Amino acid sequence: MKVLMLGWEFPPLINGGLGIACLGLSRAMSQKLELSFIIPKIDPEYFVDRLELIGLNHLESQSFDRLRLEKNLATFGEVNWVEGSLVGGLQPYGSAKPQEHTNYSEYRAWVQEKISHLPKHGKLTQKLEAQGLAEKLTMFREDSLYGDDVGDKVWSYGQVAASIAEERDFDLIHAHDWMTFIAGMEIKRRTGKPLVLHVHSLNYDRGGPDSYGWIYDIEKEAMEMADLVIPVSQYTGTICTGHYGIDPAKVHFVHNGADPVTTYRSESPFKKGLVLFLGRLTGQKGPEFFLEIAAKVLEKNPHVFFVMAGTGEQMRKLIEYGAYRNVGDRLHFTGFLNKEKVNKLLSMTDVYCMPSVSEPFGLSAIEAAQFGIPAVISKQSGVSEVLTRARKADYWDIDLMAEHIHELLTNPEAREEAIRISLEDQKNCTWEVAAQKVISLYHKHLSL
Amino acid sequence: MPSQKIPKICLFFEAHQPNRLKPYSFFHIGNDPFYEDDQLNQDILNQVSENCYLPANQLFTKLIEESEGDFCFSMSLSGVLIEQLEHHRPDVLQSFQKLHATGGVELLGETYHHSMDFQLSPVEFARQVKLHEAKIQEHFGVTPTSYRHSEMVYYNELAKFVGQMGYKIMLAEGVPHILGGRSPNHLYRSPTVKSMKVLPRHSSLSDDLSHRFPHKSWEGYPLTPDKYASWCADSGGQILNLFMDYESIGERIPAASGIFEFWEQFPTAWKKRKGQFSQVNELTRHHSKGIYDCHTPTSWAGEEKDLSPWRGNEMQREARQKILLMEDAIKERNDPELLHQWAKMHTSDHFHFMSTKEETAGKTPHDLRPYDTPYDAYIFFMNALSDLQLRLESRGPVNAGKS
Repeated sequence: MKVLMLGWEFPPLINGGLGIACLGLSRAMSQKLELSFIIPKIDPEYFVDRLELIGLNHLESQSFDRLRLEKNLATFGEVNWVEGSLVGGLQPYGSAKPQEHTNYSEYRAWVQEKISHLPKHGKLTQKLEAQGLAEKLTMFREDSLYGDDVGDKVWSYGQVAASIAEERDFDLIHAHDWMTFIAGMEIKRRTGKPLVLHVHSLNYDRGGPDSYGWIYDIEKEAMEMADLVIPVSQYTGTICTGHYGIDPAKVHFVHNGADPVTTYRSESPFKKGLVLFLGRLTGQKGPEFFLEIAAKVLEKNPHVFFVMAGTGEQMRKLIEYGAYRNVGDRLHFTGFLNKEKVNKLLSMTDVYCMPSVSEPFGLSAIEAAQFGIPAVISKQSGVSEVLTRARKADYWDIDLMAEHIHELLTNPEAREEAIRISLEDQKNCTWEVAAQKVISLYHKHLSL
Repeated sequence: MPSQKIPKICLFFEAHQPNRLKPYSFFHIGNDPFYEDDQLNQDILNQVSENCYLPANQLFTKLIEESEGDFCFSMSLSGVLIEQLEHHRPDVLQSFQKLHATGGVELLGETYHHSMDFQLSPVEFARQVKLHEAKIQEHFGVTPTSYRHSEMVYYNELAKFVGQMGYKIMLAEGVPHILGGRSPNHLYRSPTVKSMKVLPRHSSLSDDLSHRFPHKSWEGYPLTPDKYASWCADSGGQILNLFMDYESIGERIPAASGIFEFWEQFPTAWKKRKGQFSQVNELTRHHSKGIYDCHTPTSWAGEEKDLSPWRGNEMQREARQKILLMEDAIKERNDPELLHQWAKMHTSDHFHFMSTKEETAGKTPHDLRPYDTPYDAYIFFMNALSDLQLRLESRGPVNAGKS
């Protein structure tokens, strides 16, 4: 079986958890099947065994086979044609209107005319140039994959990835998150291959239940067109089926895995306890609830320390609010931390607190468990399905969260028990298990 | 009008350098008992010494000697600056001593640590003033009799307390709404302590020299000693109070602007108009013109002349309050080093670095702040404060009976 994966972030060039999950899953899957991964930006020095990485910022070495493309164009044919015009109607503001074709033969004729002058064997960039896509590649050489023109980047990625895909052999398309969903839909339209969408995070998580807009539209249209939707948790699955109205028959969750880490404990100056928040300081992660929880715990136990590791658009507001609540000498901010510093922090932490408002998975809670740290996590998180016996509360239930933390810090027996349980719970959380589940879903739902 | 009387000039300079904190991160807490950025503080001290302290001391020493008693002024050196000079630049300390030895310079009292808080702890305030007196006595052999609070802070309650400590006269900002239409060019007195005299600063003529002097877009540019002397002569009243940072000479206003040449020639230009200079303590003998009734704290900062640059936001409020809350515990410990470290965290600059005023007003950020943002200043301060708290706790209670 050959899988064509579409991703947006990939190590070492990552912005958040998406790239880590893509690496973990694809590395495990590539042990069992053939896998190619199209990514906007790769580090050409970075290799993963058995995994073909195709970066739009480094296409110079990619070759192009005109005969194979012509063969593909013929076999895909009318039978595989998916309803809808190519390069469909979803288009972010400000981008130029692309070439549209209303049926497959029209499109095939256009491509054949464009590539007719190319040699039998050439460079992939020659083909992209013939199709008028070469200039799109420049934007993937920039530093950021996000920013104000993320819509243009997503759109260009879709066109280029589809052009690359049409001359390759694969059995299914597997796209990770909305940035690659346009590409996924486009490739399905051109090739008729089944489309699998992996949902790591939704507009609902990032913007809240009232947040609609073109990203929501892309997510909904893509999930409707997909043959299989794989959310990273049951919790996110219910958002796909509920908030987005997707047919539950094709929504099947697979929990993320976690790479084993070398853990250690280091001596902490915070003898009465250190409670950690780790993540972007943005509404979705509930940092303001963490601050309220801290204030609550400090009422009972004024010698506990709290630390918020990470940065984000709410940082200044949180610092000022912390000062207003008089907790500035107990709740500290670290700003951005690299992996080494995060591990150092974990090695000192006594309780991990994740009050996310909506957390599709929450890998950091697993990482904390690997370090033997008991967690207090929000019920609105996927990881609560894995750490089934961890202490939980609704993200807004500050009293209960504070009670859990207080108990874990002051009751040694409860603490030992919580550590034992979380170490056990996280054991089954591996990428091998996740990869096997994904492959089983392919077999069962795509008849492959 | 040849018979018109011109005011005496009362010139005052403040010399001060804070002990800036290093970027003290969360990971330093419990592991690093040293909060100050020694290298940075030393570098800045060296820079200011070369640009300002040494050449200005040399110039004023010469001017005082040449004037045969006509040219004189008052100044204050914060305790924390003297301490930095002791450690890093004894040569500069000597040059201040030489300047003082001319007899033309009066040294004023203030808090050793250049702190601002009197309200929250009068006991600690008095301790810091006494500490400063001792430091001045140690290096200059005199005890100050005139007082000037950090950042020209003044209000009735403070003046009363300072009066009770034995001071006879105190400097203040000449705030228009307190003066209520009266000229700042007079000697006033406090409403609560009859013997306590007040000298209000002439804001615009002071700022002409300490801020506007080098700006080519300013209508007064170029400011010649003669032009300035004519402005001073025309300002009316009996005493013209020109108070400013010593560092404005050569550091904030670069030598290339001609500031040294200005000061070199100004005493002569003033003398030509039959003008006189006076030190602060000489004025206590004068009769006061009226009452300067100031109920809330004022300072020499900005347009508002209030304490908002140091107390304008929640970060400043909390940091200031938290450091003061440690007073009893610190003092119970009876550890001079810990006490000193704690007291140095009262220095007003720490709180000024946390000010968000200029940022919200869309102006350029504080050019002297050693960190990127006021939030960083707060974070580093609070991290250091937590470390200090932990060190205090870790040594255990002094008296087992107390908790």
